[in-house]
Amino acid sequence: MQRRKFLQGVGLAAVASTAGCTQITGSESTEAAGVSGETLTLTTTTSTYDTGLLDAIHSDFEEMYGVTVDAVAQGTGAALESARNGDSDVVMVHARGLEDEFMRNGYGINRRDLMFNDFVIVGPTSDPAGIEGSSSATEALATIAETQSAFVSRGDNSGTHTKEKNLWEAAGVDPGGDWYQEIGAGMGEALNNANQQGAYTLSDRGTYISQRSEIDLTILVQGPIEGGPEILANPYGIMAVNPGVHDNANYDLAMAYIGWITSPGAQDAISNYEMNGEQLFYPEAVSEEPNFQQYVPEGWSSDSDSE
Amino acid sequence: MIRLSNVSHSYGVEQVVDDVSLDVEPGEVVAVIGPSGVGKTTLLRTMALFLEPDAGTVALDGDAVWDAAEDERLALRRRIGMVFQEASLFDASVARNVEYGLRVRQDWRERIREQLRSLAGSTNPAAAVEDALEVVGLADKLDQQARSLSGGEAQRVSFARALAYEPSYLLLDEPTSDLDPRNTGLIEEAVFEARDRGIGVVVATHDMHQAERVADRVGVLLGDGFTEVGPTERIFDDPSDERTRKFISGELVY
Amino acid sequence: MPIESAVPLLLDNPFQRGYVPSIVYVSLYVSVIAVTLSTLVSLPIGLVMGFTQFPGKQFVKSVINTGMGFPSVVVGLMVLFAVSNQGPLGALDLIFTKQAMIISQFVLATPPITAISLAAITGVDENVRDAARALGGTRLDVALVVIKEARYGIATAVLAGFGRAISEVGSVLIVGGNITSADGISKTRTLTTAIQLEARQGRYETAMVLGAVLVTIVLLVNAIVVRLGETGAMNR
Repeated sequence: MQRRKFLQGVGLAAVASTAGCTQITGSESTEAAGVSGETLTLTTTTSTYDTGLLDAIHSDFEEMYGVTVDAVAQGTGAALESARNGDSDVVMVHARGLEDEFMRNGYGINRRDLMFNDFVIVGPTSDPAGIEGSSSATEALATIAETQSAFVSRGDNSGTHTKEKNLWEAAGVDPGGDWYQEIGAGMGEALNNANQQGAYTLSDRGTYISQRSEIDLTILVQGPIEGGPEILANPYGIMAVNPGVHDNANYDLAMAYIGWITSPGAQDAISNYEMNGEQLFYPEAVSEEPNFQQYVPEGWSSDSDSE
Repeated sequence: MIRLSNVSHSYGVEQVVDDVSLDVEPGEVVAVIGPSGVGKTTLLRTMALFLEPDAGTVALDGDAVWDAAEDERLALRRRIGMVFQEASLFDASVARNVEYGLRVRQDWRERIREQLRSLAGSTNPAAAVEDALEVVGLADKLDQQARSLSGGEAQRVSFARALAYEPSYLLLDEPTSDLDPRNTGLIEEAVFEARDRGIGVVVATHDMHQAERVADRVGVLLGDGFTEVGPTERIFDDPSDERTRKFISGELVY
Repeated sequence: MPIESAVPLLLDNPFQRGYVPSIVYVSLYVSVIAVTLSTLVSLPIGLVMGFTQFPGKQFVKSVINTGMGFPSVVVGLMVLFAVSNQGPLGALDLIFTKQAMIISQFVLATPPITAISLAAITGVDENVRDAARALGGTRLDVALVVIKEARYGIATAVLAGFGRAISEVGSVLIVGGNITSADGISKTRTLTTAIQLEARQGRYETAMVLGAVLVTIVLLVNAIVVRLGETGAMNR
């Protein structure tokens, strides 16, 4: 059994790399004919969409296969829910816990690590809680809670919100009170909100960079990209919707997409995508080393879980 | 001939018209007189084939109306015109109002074509429209908006509107009770013109003098039926019914 | 912030070529079709409700009145459940399409159009209906006369429905998905969802530019309808 699962993993990697080859060698007409004219529905998070990354790289895929990608930016929770209802073909999100649950319930298959960036804790330059330069995100949050400094939470069950909740838990704080505001809005609005009232918030680096010129918030706790704590890492994964559960899912095209976006060409495009002169996302799919954990729920092993 | 035979009609428990019979011939004017609220309107609406009587029959030139199929009844109904106490003009030009009866008698293709023509601004009113307006002395008001007319003019347009499609019978329900004497005179002249064209005219009125002026025959509606129907002169000079006599002499006050 | 900074944005267009025209097109396409369908449904309902008595009429009336205040996000969710792959219309593949947006806007626009039309229709003098019938009109002719007489009220109704449809954001976002293609041409993005997107990213100036476009369109449509009503009356 272990052997079979292993082979499946290898097989998947082969599929992905074959799709990658297609991109390098250029698509053959016979292949294109199979999916040409079809539409791929991708539900994803606001951070990948709002930074403009998807629009920047998708035309390459669309031209290659003669297809259309409908990218629906919903936030991680809603993106997975749409996929769970069979309303999308592929999901690109950033909340490993939710992704794992999605896979364990049988809705998602063929998960790949896609790319990452990191979260940063931003706040007013006056830094009333005095967290600047803190090497621990959880300590910084605990300080914010202790000093009752204003903090804006996304409160929308997005990947960022999920990460924030995990951080509070790790900090041993149950946030609440006037200083803690859940606004139920996207990252951009949260940054603006925090900016208006001189509050702290947790942001993904990409959205922060794309908005930095318009706000007075500054990074007070760095993420791992700039040497900050590993706990602020923000990895994105991609999964196809299981055609065994939703037979209307465009599985072929979803796998073509996953193959393409994890190929060296598209991964380069991701790493070359810049805003205001800064790189927003760091590709993670192409590696010499095997990484079997990306295919399965975290901590999964056939001994403990299957049968 | 419109023939009402033993017609009764009631609203709920109230008997409004009870066992009424009346014939109206082409080319005659019949006045139905009686006090307000006596059922004149109900009688006219029954004659106009608006209301199906609870009992009795209504026949138009021998065809029993309420036994006929619906489309036949529509054809019969379209031979009758009716003018109400209120002018009730459509919010449109005088020409469009008077045309209306002609328009609904056309087939849909022709109607749509005409609608498009009118939207394009080129209207060419039918001769019958101009003729009908001529009868009421309003041929010059063709392009005026109905809303801008005076009350008397509006009622005359309303008369022309019913005349334009050349009905066999014309029913007028208190047509001049809101009008000044001049407009009343013009309507009465139009009634004579209609009669001369061979149209059978019924005028329901509470104005006995008007009945005396215009009618060839008079029916006196008192209580819930006719006390008497007969030639105008005889009814007014020598009524045979006691209640009729009292009503005409003004002794019977309702 | 708003006006001084919004004006230069109008000059150097911050959007991709064709982006704004395409979202204007989607907004109009969805709203106009939905409002047309709503009107076609509303007028017969208004006529029947206005002219006839039937059991349950009061109930229908209160359903319509409730519908006027129905929150658009709730309508969006209901339509989402209907058109989602798991829903009763799932087989039609309507989720994240203009058709799904038309359905939700139809549901939103029909109650106000029906209610305002009904008020206009019942306001038509009963004598005018009698006159049309006395002049030889069929039931259909009488209905057409009533619609013509009530045309200003009905135009108001249609405008109210259109206003609700084109400025609505909750339901079209849920069932439409706010999609553009990679080259910036809208598939299901409307002016309202585009404004929402700009606001989400904190780009309030560009959001305001789009808001100005939306307001301009609503004003233009109002002006056109009022103008049509006037010239139409002239020709009659």
